[in-house]
Amino acid sequence: MKLREMAYSRSGDKGDVSNICVFVYDQADYPTLVEQLTADVVREHFGALVQGNVVRYELPNVHGLNFVLDKALGGGVSMTLRVDPHGKAFQSLILDIDLPGDQR
Amino acid sequence: MPEALAPVLSIGSGSAYANDRLEPAAAMADSGRVSYMGFDCLAERTMALAHVRRRQDPSTGQDERIGALVPLLRGYLSRGGKVVGNFGAANPDAAYEEFAAHLRKVGLLGVRIGVIRGDDVHDLVTRLDCALPELGTTVGALGDRIVSANAYIGALPIVDCLREDAQIVLGGRLADPSLFVGPICHELGWDLTDWDRVGHATMVGHLLECGVHSTGGNFEDPPYRRVPDPHNLGYPLADVEDGSVVVTKLPGTGGAVDELTMKTQLYYEIHDPARYLTPDVTADFTGVTIEDLGDNRVRLSGARGREWPSHLKVLVGVDQGWKAVGEMSYGGPGCVDRARRAEEIVRARLDAFGSDIDDLRVDLQGVGSLFGDRLVGGEPTEVRLRLAVRTPNMEAARAAVHEVELLYFGPAGGGGATGSVVPALGVTPAYVPREQVRLETEVLES
Repeated sequence: MKLREMAYSRSGDKGDVSNICVFVYDQADYPTLVEQLTADVVREHFGALVQGNVVRYELPNVHGLNFVLDKALGGGVSMTLRVDPHGKAFQSLILDIDLPGDQR
Repeated sequence: MPEALAPVLSIGSGSAYANDRLEPAAAMADSGRVSYMGFDCLAERTMALAHVRRRQDPSTGQDERIGALVPLLRGYLSRGGKVVGNFGAANPDAAYEEFAAHLRKVGLLGVRIGVIRGDDVHDLVTRLDCALPELGTTVGALGDRIVSANAYIGALPIVDCLREDAQIVLGGRLADPSLFVGPICHELGWDLTDWDRVGHATMVGHLLECGVHSTGGNFEDPPYRRVPDPHNLGYPLADVEDGSVVVTKLPGTGGAVDELTMKTQLYYEIHDPARYLTPDVTADFTGVTIEDLGDNRVRLSGARGREWPSHLKVLVGVDQGWKAVGEMSYGGPGCVDRARRAEEIVRARLDAFGSDIDDLRVDLQGVGSLFGDRLVGGEPTEVRLRLAVRTPNMEAARAAVHEVELLYFGPAGGGGATGSVVPALGVTPAYVPREQVRLETEVLES
């Protein structure tokens, strides 16, 4: 299933770092999210867009995850020649990830 | 005997960036619902752009909406409402002059206005030859390409002004949440080293500083997520008390304040949620709980804080020459191939400028301009070629735009050329010991 069916997201920028927070609609899906939406999965999906590390923080209090993508904005909002310098569309790209879904 | 009511401060958002709408601010001011409004007027690039304006005309560099805003706040200010904002941008004194002039024009004389100076640390970063870690160089190495350097400053000078009965507080690079932390701590009597309370106030500030980001802006994704009347989003407001806050919006405005919109804003532009660094505190949002009270009201509690960072973040503006962008559309069968042919042509034509072009990229919008080429199956019915160039050479920048325009003559069928050349201003972080940033405040009158 697409992550978009299970979760919602928002991306933001600071310098050349993008962060994307992701939250499940139904808290019953949270264990699946934690298990399957790993930093490696996000790294793989974003490919060459991200030149640095991807770090994941768990937000169990709000059933969410926060991904911090280093060197992800082509040098930063003010430096890059990219069409979307803030990475505003990253919040949509992450929701296109295919997850195996609930395996129970 | 009835229990004494806990003190509550009602504070609203008035702006989230330099070009934000004024009508929701006017609605907030006229609502009678809040006694303070915080106006965040800056983003990373805004400050450097303001310095460029100031360089062209030393009497400018402040927020450009002051003249339009002041008449909208007339009623609010005459009822004693207070305003805190980083309207100063690159020139806090110019912001004061403009506020004072427009206040007098609407008949408000003697309004006390606190001005905060000292966030401009150009001299300090030059003297310290600060490292610029994202660029792998130093301030000194870039010499006169350094356009500006402003330290993010906190709530302390805001509180100083409020203690002197300022009704309006103006500064330069006041940190976004600090615009709210100052009033909250001042009104509720919280010490600025009471870290947990400052952490709580910082959470409130973070929820208000981005305006409609808390009320349904940057949120919809139909059919999964929709909000009512997205054309008429209101700015958020908060009823703050010790240990908790209720965030809401004005009746009659569009959008939504609910568990979902609060979560997306709470962790927006946060890295480590246990270490959100501001000039005021190291805030910890890992223990926050969110309770949807219904009817666009959400209660949040559980933010904490630890000591403020030893260093202040500085945004350093760096002159990067010019940024040129040109675009041309292709449609119908073979449109992608023709756009790629166009790319070959413009690249070949711009070869003449050689190393004068620092950066160049060509994107095909409709194929892979946002995420790289991820087109699945078939060909789009149209694509838009976008050439972007960064160069210190104005002639090269103009040529880039001109070459895209000349694509009207081949390959076949290019239409709708547009182009622009703007100053390329980079903004990059540096860090300075906080005790070396000398701030001063002065309370003047209109």
